[in-house]
Amino acid sequence: MNTSQQLKIVFTGPMGAGKTTAIRAISDAAPVSTEVGNSDQAMFAKESTTIALDYGELTLEDGNCVRLYGTPGQARFSFMWEIIGLGALGVILLIDGSSDHAHLDLKAFIEAFQRNTPDQPFVIGVGRLKSNGDLERYFSLLESVELVAPVFAVDVRQRGDVLLLIETLLCILEMRVTEIDHAAS
Amino acid sequence: MQPPDSRFSSELTAFAVQQLDALGQTSAGIQLAVLTSEDGFEIAAYRGHAISGRIAAMSSSLQALSEAITREAGLNSPRSLIIEAEGGTILILGTTVASARVSLSVVASSADTLGQLLWAARNCCKTLEQALQG
Repeated sequence: MNTSQQLKIVFTGPMGAGKTTAIRAISDAAPVSTEVGNSDQAMFAKESTTIALDYGELTLEDGNCVRLYGTPGQARFSFMWEIIGLGALGVILLIDGSSDHAHLDLKAFIEAFQRNTPDQPFVIGVGRLKSNGDLERYFSLLESVELVAPVFAVDVRQRGDVLLLIETLLCILEMRVTEIDHAAS
Repeated sequence: MQPPDSRFSSELTAFAVQQLDALGQTSAGIQLAVLTSEDGFEIAAYRGHAISGRIAAMSSSLQALSEAITREAGLNSPRSLIIEAEGGTILILGTTVASARVSLSVVASSADTLGQLLWAARNCCKTLEQALQG
């Protein structure tokens, strides 16, 4: 691959979408975590929540190291989205497919990250879907925000599912580098 | 944004506001003091204004990061986080109130000495911790 040897990828998405779980599933070593007790059970009923970042590393077969950064999900921590998004090559956006406001979440996170880095590629992972057919809704929403991005139904507890998201993002990055090389030659 | 956690009752909040006011009286340089739940909600503030909610969220992130880095470095728990800026100082101290982890952030102008601020902020934490044991 013709990109940097240190690849920075961001996992983002709303609270409870599985960002911390995804990074834990694939990180070579135990990730850095900033989880604390969640006092906002109305927002999402779970014991803990990330309030600064998750950080893990994944070494690829070619020796490149992917640095995996996870953001907090709540809007009150949106300042961390900007900080963590700096210098990232791409974004893996995780969405809770069982949420009533999944579509709003998708739109909000895309807009927030595009505001800081307009050309950043996205890969979307939707969890807790009732059926894979439900993915169609997400394609049409992506069209409405004029974003071309692959969408997968995932279970982020499964290492293979998370790797699929990362490998897809790396393929998009590789294609972009190839296109730039062709344009330059 | 107030914390939804029922541990932070109105009585607790009122007592915390009193203590933050007392902290503010220790120095004219203290511009803002915010007590924050560990997941970033403002519990009480001295001279709270539009930015205190954002300061609360940011200080909980910084507190969590300082805990993560001290853990990573094998230094156990952080006692305080000190940010020395050109225009002043920000202190963030972790403590426990009503069985919940919270943090106290103090924003002060450069007129204050660091030692004086640290002393006053630690005293405030100690009072809150002792008076509001869960």
